Amino acid sequence: MTKKPLSGTSGVWPLRILFLLPVLVLFIACFVYPFAFTLYASLCKWRGIGSMKFIGIGNYLKLFSDGTFHLALRNNMIWALAQGFIQVPLAALVAIILLREPKGWKILRTVYFLPNVISTVAIAMMWTALYNPTYGLINQILVDWFGKNPVNFLGDPDLALGAIIFQTVIYIGYFMIVILAAGMNIPRELFEAAEIDGASTLAQEFCITIPMLRGTLVTTITLAMAYGMRHFEATYLMTGGGPAYGTVTMGIDLYLKMDALRYSEASTTGIVLILLGSLVIGLIRKIFGKSDPMSEMAQ
Amino acid sequence: MKTSILPVRFLKSLLKWFVLLFFLAAALLPIVWLFINSFRTNIELQVSSFALPEKWQFSNYAKAIQMASLPRLFFNSVLVSAFAVGVNVIASAMAGFILSREHFRGRDAIYTVLTAGVLIPIISFMVPYFSLVTKIKLYNTLISLVLVYSAVNIPVSIFLVTSFMKSIPKELEEAGIIDGCGFVQRFTKIVFPMSRSGLVTAGTFCFIYAWNDFIMAMLLTSSVETRTIQLGIKFFTSQFITDYTTMFAAIILTIIPSVAAYIFLHNKIISGLTAGAVKG
Repeated sequence: MTKKPLSGTSGVWPLRILFLLPVLVLFIACFVYPFAFTLYASLCKWRGIGSMKFIGIGNYLKLFSDGTFHLALRNNMIWALAQGFIQVPLAALVAIILLREPKGWKILRTVYFLPNVISTVAIAMMWTALYNPTYGLINQILVDWFGKNPVNFLGDPDLALGAIIFQTVIYIGYFMIVILAAGMNIPRELFEAAEIDGASTLAQEFCITIPMLRGTLVTTITLAMAYGMRHFEATYLMTGGGPAYGTVTMGIDLYLKMDALRYSEASTTGIVLILLGSLVIGLIRKIFGKSDPMSEMAQ
Repeated sequence: MKTSILPVRFLKSLLKWFVLLFFLAAALLPIVWLFINSFRTNIELQVSSFALPEKWQFSNYAKAIQMASLPRLFFNSVLVSAFAVGVNVIASAMAGFILSREHFRGRDAIYTVLTAGVLIPIISFMVPYFSLVTKIKLYNTLISLVLVYSAVNIPVSIFLVTSFMKSIPKELEEAGIIDGCGFVQRFTKIVFPMSRSGLVTAGTFCFIYAWNDFIMAMLLTSSVETRTIQLGIKFFTSQFITDYTTMFAAIILTIIPSVAAYIFLHNKIISGLTAGAVKG
């Protein structure tokens, strides 16, 4: 980077700006302006039509005493923890097994990733069918094999959240691929040396593989928690946030408020979601140590 | 390995294969179940969803194509995704060129701000997107979706494209300058063609997002003419409210393109994903 600028690059400012312009316009229109707008709207009284009336932090005070928001906050945390500390460890377990290249590992890798190319909507609709109390596969197994009564997973306030989380965390493909790729870069000599020293496979995983994957694991956990904080689609499609707000997340809360024309309150939820999301990411990096943040957040 | 006692080794291997087969089943069984039942009648489904169809009901598929106006939905999704990828990749390539090959003050600050956009949960912008799109009279148009999809992926694309372009040797450009390349030719003749695989990775990410998005399509469009495939799935689940197996057929039809593309391109897709994920 300290190299001298190329000759022929001076006097090209208009061209430089022209080349940056498309990205800057899109970025300002879809990131900068919306952020400023949301921040301002969150401090106003506004129902989507007419002018915004500035009221200060009233919406925030209202939000923090709002029961639905409390539930959403709790569920967001559950989502972030489930994705970060259930989905990623499962993905890591499979990746570590596949690193030993068992029979058919390449095919397994390909199949594990398959659900990730199918849209969230299709997956959510598929699982709505699987959970269906009368014809769903899961209930038919419960009834036919175990003689239990059918369970309405998505209609039961105690079970719905777990049911939706389950159909998300068992799809480990994406994180598994990332961890596996990082594992491939561990020098083989380390394992060979450990082998000669008589270390068992399990000892090798704990003393070589996992420490060597530390940076990647921190990154994938951070990412998974960020995804958990943003959760919206599957819940919107499978339960709409119900029953009795049992599955509501901050994204759903925002959408429901917007749908009820409470635009400024929806904006307040939006700002809190942005702040909390950044807080979670920052916190994870603080606890587990950082690695090159940008190169990894970009996924 | 050689020193392990046989039963311990056997147990370990059993455990290992249990884990591998569990996730194999998790990835495949639901899709296979949906696929098989999409060929059965509703009565067969209610009795037991395990069995193979007595007679393969291809009529479910004929019905699904007709009722859900699938060709239209596909056309819209292809159109929107293709244009979003085009806008995103060209814009990112141009900006990436400046951010990787030009030196000026504030360059790194611009790069940091642009890439920090990935930290923003896009769902928190539902209100401003909706009100902005309505204000500029683009509500319920496919153009609004093209713009949003291409813009939302700017941070990821800038990161991928810029880091890729930084790895192109400077000497190539210097040689080009000696041969009389101006600013624009340096981009069109040297850097752009040489960063093709970086651009393909960025384009793939943008395509996956645009093709699979549901939220923005729900927020910014409202009529059948502008409906995309993902929104369509949601609509036919309410359309086929009692005709489950036809609904299954419709869902299967919508996932065929992605699954087919994956079967043919899985090596490219997996290596493309890891290229971005493992430090650039």
